[in-house]
Amino acid sequence: MDDDELIARLAGGDDVALRELFGRHARWLAGRLRTALPASDVEDVLQETFLEVWRSAPNYRAQDSAAGWLWTIARRRAAMWLRKNGRTDEVALFAEPVAEDPSEGVIVREDLRAALDAIGPEGGPDREVFRLVYEQDRPVAEVAVLLGVPEGTVKSRSFRVRRALRAALGEHRTAEERI
Amino acid sequence: MEGMDETPFDVELDVDLDKVWVGVAAQVWRRRPGRVERLVGRLLRSPGLARALLTTPSLLVPWLLASIGVMAAGALATAATGEPLVALLAPAMAGAGIAYSYGPGMDPAWELACSMAINESMVLLTRALAVFAVNAVLALAASVVCPAAAGIALGWFVPMTAVSMLALAAATLTRSANIGVAAAVVAWTLTVLASSSATGRFAAAVDGGLTLLLPYLLVAVCCAAIVVHRPATPRGNS
Amino acid sequence: MNVEINGLVRRFGRTEAVRGVDLTVDSGVFGLLGPNGAGKTSLFRMMATVIPPTSGTLRLLGRDPGNHHDRREIRRRLGYLPQNLGYYPRFTVAEFVEYFALLKEMPPARVPAAVASAVEKVGLGDKARARLHTLSGGMLRRVGIAQAIVNNPELVLLDEPTAGLDPEQRVDFRKLMREIGETSTVVLSTHLVEDIGASCSRVAMMYNGTIAFNGTPDELVSLGEGRVGDAPLERGYSAVLAGVRA
Repeated sequence: MDDDELIARLAGGDDVALRELFGRHARWLAGRLRTALPASDVEDVLQETFLEVWRSAPNYRAQDSAAGWLWTIARRRAAMWLRKNGRTDEVALFAEPVAEDPSEGVIVREDLRAALDAIGPEGGPDREVFRLVYEQDRPVAEVAVLLGVPEGTVKSRSFRVRRALRAALGEHRTAEERI
Repeated sequence: MEGMDETPFDVELDVDLDKVWVGVAAQVWRRRPGRVERLVGRLLRSPGLARALLTTPSLLVPWLLASIGVMAAGALATAATGEPLVALLAPAMAGAGIAYSYGPGMDPAWELACSMAINESMVLLTRALAVFAVNAVLALAASVVCPAAAGIALGWFVPMTAVSMLALAAATLTRSANIGVAAAVVAWTLTVLASSSATGRFAAAVDGGLTLLLPYLLVAVCCAAIVVHRPATPRGNS
Repeated sequence: MNVEINGLVRRFGRTEAVRGVDLTVDSGVFGLLGPNGAGKTSLFRMMATVIPPTSGTLRLLGRDPGNHHDRREIRRRLGYLPQNLGYYPRFTVAEFVEYFALLKEMPPARVPAAVASAVEKVGLGDKARARLHTLSGGMLRRVGIAQAIVNNPELVLLDEPTAGLDPEQRVDFRKLMREIGETSTVVLSTHLVEDIGASCSRVAMMYNGTIAFNGTPDELVSLGEGRVGDAPLERGYSAVLAGVRA
């Protein structure tokens, strides 16, 4: 059974599939995390990673790379772990890889600036949700406390932000391609 | 794929993956107690006792639904005939419920339960009280529906106590819930028939007032004593 | 000493199942051998505080099981697998082990990890959420072992633990017992001599309600020298039985 099939079974609540996935991927994930974190931290992050895998398996799309998906979750969990333990200076170790081509970097920045403008002014409610949830990777519960709003409000603003970003990034790319 | 080739496979990994998996499995396999169980656990100050209580065979939903059905039928029959059928049914229902709350006839892991810190007597007593309380509420609800029989229906509480304790004592002594039920039903049937025959009143077993109070209470106390001081000998020996 | 028994007697009616047993057990794995009807199960039941002795003294983990408070403390630190263990068919493996962890008054916060660890140790990790009525006899026995060890007990009593296990599972079981025996006292009762040789540091033989032999497996083997039999321990076992029957 390949990874996609395993994750599909996981999504259906099959804990044996999770066990199999753990058996296949835990070691290399641990090895990668271990390049930046001590062993005891790796154990905690890896545990959180696979619990998130269990919870978010229904969101996995079969055309994604399973290992890439797992590593994305592990990286996010490692960043959250470091933040939670006050080691924010090490968070960059688990940041998204930056584009190598400088022009690619410019295009990316331009896209992002345009998309952020679509969410609203800096300091506004939607920009704050974007900053805390997506830039800083904080959990919904924590963001709700920080903003002083219910968790449901954070979730609905996140949805609005994602929709606005998707629309804005799509429009901006199309406009540039026309030039 | 990205990253896999960067993993130092040939380096000894000092991460305890078995421990990590146990941590994951602990969360994936755990049973999350419902609101009722959490509340009962807080009331009894014991999550174990709460769990034992909510797995009592005669407190499970199918049994409760059946009890409600029987009581409802009794209430309708009482309303239709004027006879206190609810009062006559309630003790037998409670007795059956009590018998099916305990015993190696009902509890397949009874011997193991006898070695637990939350001992089987405590579980037994809590279950018996809960079953009794549930049946008391059901019978009271049925009685309230039939105002004509309300006065007589109050007479059910004392005989219900006696029949329940008899069921429990029989189940305890014989280590069989089925025998407990049979003993309770037979004893109650004989009581109803005998008192009816002696007085000419069908409901004499429950409308005798103070005359019957003492005998019922005596039966309840004696049976309770049997339950408390029962010999703890499991079946068979080797 | 985790188990101290002096002159222990247990009667059922007019039958004396245990007649004056003296035994002390410290940490490690201790085997209790004997034919059916020797009194092993009755002795186990007394050690598991399921039944009281008729006479004699019994101390478990330094406490008196006759005292209500001490008995509760013993039971919190005890793991017991009866010879005949019934199961709740609709429970899953994890639910069954969890149920008894709660009845042993384990702190609720520790229960999920303890259950997961116990289930993995007995090799039932891929059956954790399977209902008990779907499992084979050998698997059910392993569920029983899991509930016995879930609370990291100081005293583990296993009555015929390998019944229904295949040879590979028996090897795994013996390895598990040796691991547990490093920090706890394990007493296992069996009529299978090979279970003793592979995991026990000391062994006693019961016959007709009394202790007929108490020593090391090597000492039992030496008693069988010159006798005919399949294996050294079996020869020693037969020699002791022949001696008491004579």
